[in-house]
Amino acid sequence: MLKAEKLFKTYRRHAVQVRVLTGLELEVRTGEFLSIVGASGSGKSTLLHLLGTLDAPDSGTISLDGKRIDNLPARERDLLRNKTFGYIFQFYHLLPELNTLDNVLMPAYIAHSTTGWWKSRAKWRARAEELLKKVGLGHRLKHRPRELSGGEMQRAAVARALLAHPRVLLADEPTGNLDAETGGEIVRLLRDLNREEGVTIVMVTHNLDIVHATDRVVRMVGGTVTEDSRSFQPRPHLAAI
Amino acid sequence: MYKLLLCLRYLQTRYLAFICIVSVMLGVATLIVVNAVMSGFSTKLKDRLHGVLSDIVIDTDRIEGMFVFAKNAEDDRRPLLTADQICKMIEDSPAGDRIEAVSPTIEVFAILQFPFRGQTQTKPVRLIGIDPVRRAAVGGFSEYLVRQRGLPNPSFDLSPDALLQHDWNKRRQQREDELMNQPEPPGVIRIPDPNAPAPIPAPRMDLDKGMPEAKLSGVIPGYTLAHLRYRNLAGDVMEEVALSPGDAVTITTIGGANIRPVWGSFLVTDYIKTEMSEYDQSFVYVPLDQLQKIRGMDGRCTAIQIRLKNYDQDKAFVTAELKKLFGESDIRIATWEENQGPLLAAIDVERGILNLLLFMIVGVAGFSILAIFTMIVSEKYRDIGILKSLGASSGGVMSIFLGYGLLLGTVGCGFGTVLGLWITYRINTIEKFLTEVTGVAVFPRDVYYFKDIPTNIDPMNVLLVNLGAIAIATVFSILPSYRAARLHPVRALRFE
Ligand SMILES: Nc1ncnc2c1ncn2[C@@H]1O[C@H](COP(=O)(O)OP(=O)(O)OP(=O)(O)O)[C@@H](O)[C@H]1O
Ligand SMILES: [Mg+2]
Repeated sequence: MLKAEKLFKTYRRHAVQVRVLTGLELEVRTGEFLSIVGASGSGKSTLLHLLGTLDAPDSGTISLDGKRIDNLPARERDLLRNKTFGYIFQFYHLLPELNTLDNVLMPAYIAHSTTGWWKSRAKWRARAEELLKKVGLGHRLKHRPRELSGGEMQRAAVARALLAHPRVLLADEPTGNLDAETGGEIVRLLRDLNREEGVTIVMVTHNLDIVHATDRVVRMVGGTVTEDSRSFQPRPHLAAI
Repeated sequence: MYKLLLCLRYLQTRYLAFICIVSVMLGVATLIVVNAVMSGFSTKLKDRLHGVLSDIVIDTDRIEGMFVFAKNAEDDRRPLLTADQICKMIEDSPAGDRIEAVSPTIEVFAILQFPFRGQTQTKPVRLIGIDPVRRAAVGGFSEYLVRQRGLPNPSFDLSPDALLQHDWNKRRQQREDELMNQPEPPGVIRIPDPNAPAPIPAPRMDLDKGMPEAKLSGVIPGYTLAHLRYRNLAGDVMEEVALSPGDAVTITTIGGANIRPVWGSFLVTDYIKTEMSEYDQSFVYVPLDQLQKIRGMDGRCTAIQIRLKNYDQDKAFVTAELKKLFGESDIRIATWEENQGPLLAAIDVERGILNLLLFMIVGVAGFSILAIFTMIVSEKYRDIGILKSLGASSGGVMSIFLGYGLLLGTVGCGFGTVLGLWITYRINTIEKFLTEVTGVAVFPRDVYYFKDIPTNIDPMNVLLVNLGAIAIATVFSILPSYRAARLHPVRALRFE
């Protein structure tokens, strides 16, 4: 469904050029849990940003269901980020001024005008509370991010990413900042969501342990990806971790 | 929706925001207080200027008085009109029914002399001859009298107390004269000094016009003329009565057909206290008929004061009519505003300049908003990235910070208005407190002659100050907001 073709991306600062992506080809299939691995600095985050329209490639195309999304006008791009993609970041990236519930509701706040919000707020609140319960934060609705642990913040971030029923979840090292056990919980959570809500997940990770929980692994080397069967041993039930 | 939510949350949680609010608040409060005081001063000053001056003044530079001839006679020997006849003529003119009252006066410079502590005090004054009842009808006279304050028919008559004082003065004088003029003891022979200058001959006056002896005719001097103010060693302002009711003064001016010195004696009967130092230290009122007699003016006057029924509405019409009436002559017709034009203009200019300076202070507050906002925006870099990754548009991000500026401006203005109004209402209490604490008179009353600091709150002005401050707060938040909106989401997210 999400397809990248001949992606090139080079960062330039004065005379120095950092060629990050060189003709990358990747297809993400509907409903799969894909993980991207690679050395640090190989361009994993860059790829994820391009896939999620946060950045634009120098050349090449990205298409969603056959429709190009890398050159959309600002309005449609914002809509896409709001409705179709959900992001999870290594450093949680919650808004420190808002409590957990408001943080999770943020995509809905953005989608609606003030009057529109008042009409549909009950529905959204129910959805947010349901998600927070699912990630195990049902009793921490009114807490500020700084009152939560790293794992709890990341779970709140997962709930936020899922609020608007996105079709694709883009996770950039969601466990990078967590200990192995908490990281495992997060991945298990993603695994379950992938199964139950049918959301497609693209996850960047360093941790070779957790890739076992995913359907497919690609490795980034030299600005392109290669299918990685070496580290891929299908293990349907992550509960074993 | 998120814009509103974030604006409010940023307001609640950022202590930097309170600095912004405080700077706007102080600016607004200062502007309101200063404007209220300036406007208070200027309205009070205008009131007083207008108070003593009548609506319209007809006057001449001729020291002998107005020369107005009767209209109807055709030959050259048309009769010269007296003051009363001129007033009648004015009342009968088309402007007459818009005129409330007319009062003929004589205004001339003079010298006021009176004994005080064994010395003769001599002061230059402005001598004004009036008919007290008619002058009171024109306004701006009896309300400033000390003894006869507000009476519709004030007079130059002496009160019983004043008569008593006069009597006592006279007897003391007689006693002093007796002591001075003791017959010389026998055996003393005086040798005239050949080098002694010839004695200066006493001024001789026209016998039918001068009035050397006090004939119990009253005079109303300005309050400051009759009271000496000075600071004692402790630095406190002291006031001493130099002229009590019943004391005699000698007033010398010029008059007669050949413009020669003339004088008369008067007994103090009241004071005029306008609280305008210039007037209180120079005005001396005497009865019109007495002054006419002393100056040999045959019923003429030098000025006519007019009060209109509706000044603002009729001033142009009446002035024009009067100009027609008096035609081409040396008689000047002007409203009180025209007479005080330069002073009124100066007050307005002063106020304008002060406002400009103060608005520059608010401009400085604006720059502090700019600085603080830039800080807030860079503190919020990551949040901006997050919002954009969640689908917020650039315009949305911009309006968060613009709205934030507007909100800070509005809240600051609200507090500033409350503070400013509170200070304005309490300004005299605050001034007393400051004077007590610092020991320095913040508002030296002997300088201004105001009992209290006058204030006048103009709602329009308060509104303008508020709008201006909100506009400045918003304008200065445009630049940081624009920077926030333009921020690239990936750069913002990578920002740590
Ligand atoms: N704005 C930029 N300007 C210049 N170079 C950049 C910029 N952003 C990223 N790079 C470079 O691009 C390369 C890829 O960065 P990216 O963050 O995508 O790597 P990554 O695979 O996510 O690494 P990590 O696993 O450490 O997160 C790195 O070498 C980085 O230095
Ligand atoms: Mg990365």
